[in-house]
Amino acid sequence: MNRNGDPALTPFMQSILRPFTNIVNAIRKDRYKSLKLRLFFYIGTLAGLPLLAIAMISYFWVFNILKDEFRDHLRWQMEDSQRSIESFLQEKLAGLRFLTNAYSLDELSDDTILHTIFAKFRKEFGEIVDLGLINAEGIQLSYAGPYHLKGRDYSNQDWFQEVSIRGVYISDVFTGYRKMPHFAIAVRKEMPGKHAFWVLRATVDVETLNRFLSSIQMKEYDDAFIINKDGILQTSSRFHGKMLERAALKFPVPAQDLSFMDYKRDGVRLEVGYAHIKQSSWVLGMVVQSTASSKMIELFTKDVGTLYLIIVLVIMGSVANSIITSSVVNRVQEAEQRREAAIAETEHTSKLASIGRLAAGIAHEINNPLAVINEKAGLMKDILQLIGDFPNKEKFLSIVFSITDSVDRCRTITQRLLGFARRMDVSLEIIDINETIKEVIGFLEKEILYRNVRLDMNLSENLPKIESDRGLFQQVFLNIANNAIDALKDGGTLAIATGKKDEDTLQVIIRDNGHGIPKEVLKHIFEPFFTTKEKGKGTGLGLSISYGIMQKLGGTILVESEVDKGSAFTVEVPVKASIDLRGL
Amino acid sequence: MSWTKVLIVDDEVEFAAALSERLLLRDYDTKAVYNVDDAIAAIKQDPPEVLLLDLKMPGMSGIELYRTIKEFNPSIEVIFVTGQACQNGDETIPREAFACVMKPIDIDELTKQIDKAKQSIIKK
Repeated sequence: MNRNGDPALTPFMQSILRPFTNIVNAIRKDRYKSLKLRLFFYIGTLAGLPLLAIAMISYFWVFNILKDEFRDHLRWQMEDSQRSIESFLQEKLAGLRFLTNAYSLDELSDDTILHTIFAKFRKEFGEIVDLGLINAEGIQLSYAGPYHLKGRDYSNQDWFQEVSIRGVYISDVFTGYRKMPHFAIAVRKEMPGKHAFWVLRATVDVETLNRFLSSIQMKEYDDAFIINKDGILQTSSRFHGKMLERAALKFPVPAQDLSFMDYKRDGVRLEVGYAHIKQSSWVLGMVVQSTASSKMIELFTKDVGTLYLIIVLVIMGSVANSIITSSVVNRVQEAEQRREAAIAETEHTSKLASIGRLAAGIAHEINNPLAVINEKAGLMKDILQLIGDFPNKEKFLSIVFSITDSVDRCRTITQRLLGFARRMDVSLEIIDINETIKEVIGFLEKEILYRNVRLDMNLSENLPKIESDRGLFQQVFLNIANNAIDALKDGGTLAIATGKKDEDTLQVIIRDNGHGIPKEVLKHIFEPFFTTKEKGKGTGLGLSISYGIMQKLGGTILVESEVDKGSAFTVEVPVKASIDLRGL
Repeated sequence: MSWTKVLIVDDEVEFAAALSERLLLRDYDTKAVYNVDDAIAAIKQDPPEVLLLDLKMPGMSGIELYRTIKEFNPSIEVIFVTGQACQNGDETIPREAFACVMKPIDIDELTKQIDKAKQSIIKK
């Protein structure tokens, strides 16, 4: 019979399996839950790993691009500042050189002329504090500016030594006589034909340098400053020390015109750039904290849309994953349950079959001695009836009768046992289900009449003829109808209905409004030798045999029952026979 | 109507003897034999009208014996008497057999079958 295609368990099987399934379900639930979790994790990992790899690769890719871009930006800013400072210095030097060529030593030595020149120079070039002329001995011959520095001797100062040798000089920042941070720009003028020279010297306030630095765009934690080759700060810095102090930062003398390096301070990644300022010992330094990585974070935090998109994608992925996972696991679960039900049903069938074989064997063995008893007792009865009166004849007769009655009872049992076990020879014929039922009702008519049972027949017209075994089908129907009548009180109703379940299956419903079957009994009703009838009235084989027959005929028996309301047995028969040829 | 000649073949001696006696009491000309050889000899000597045949006997199964007997005397009607089910997948009762009665026997049912068998012989 075709049971694989039928996912629904028969109520009978469900009732048998219920106690197990409760326990098994509890264990199984956990198992499937963990299976779901594992599968979810595996799929997530499988899908997530390449994604993560791509994300990492693109992160580093973008990071490098950002880093390059960032350095370019830094380089551009530094080059800009470097050039401004250099051209500022160049301009001053050119101005001074022009003065040394345009004016003679005598003219410049005159304080009034120098004053005029200073005023004009300052007007044109600006940003110088004073102007002074120093002779080869280092004595300031004339001076124009806010301080009284005429006659000062610079011969021992480093800058004077330097300018006398190199011809051009830009000093480091110093406070000097006037206690004001400044730096000096000096130009040497050779006296033609003599071995003597003089020096024109201008000083510039440090504020000028600071102005250049402040023009660099800086973020909160960035820093820009000028430092000399000894590591002394020439301007004040935000985080790396005050002017004229040693910088709190290791600063290599730049090998190239412009260099960059990564630097770590207090665990913070810094980008350090430095640029050499031509014709001076200065290095323009810039320390930037907003590196490429901080820019990267900025990219995500500022662009909230991207962040939302990522979150939404992750959530969607997880949802899809969990849907896939649970649908797969549910299918597995369903398949397993179906398989277990099929196994349980097969076990039940084979249990019935082996009990049946055993029963048949016993019945056969018992039948022979029983037959002897029967004949001997029968003979005794015959003889007793033939001969004349003798003492206790009646008693003997009654004893013999009770022996034969008992044998009759035994015979009922053994013959049913044999019927239960026999390999049914199914002989198929085309039968009309309604006619077949009417024939059976014929057998029951007396009983129905005697018990005053109301018979409610509701047979559908135009049912297709079925291919089945009339005798076996009638046996099943008779068994169930008999049980129904037994369950009824006098005056109850027996309802019999036929109908189509679907195109391939007809059904006969036998309903009574009798005492019903309690749940715990319902579990066992198809088991052989299970009976609730009085001793001697039932063998407990009727339903068991009926169930076997219906299996054989490719149909099934379903039962519904409620205590005190009655029971309904539904017999389903296939229109086209698909006979299970295996022995029961 | 003359007495019907009945032969019982059954290896269960007590059963066959008692049944034979009971049938005699009911005016059947009954004889009982307890093995296959005696059965064949008895039939050849004095063929009965109705044969009550056990389905299972040592030496030869009831069905084989049935076929042998039918060969040399097809007019005998055979009623099988069996402790097993009459409809049995392994040893199907031949269709031509007149009837099959299950042990323990209901004597009234048996006599009814014997009478029927007798009648069918007369008709022939």
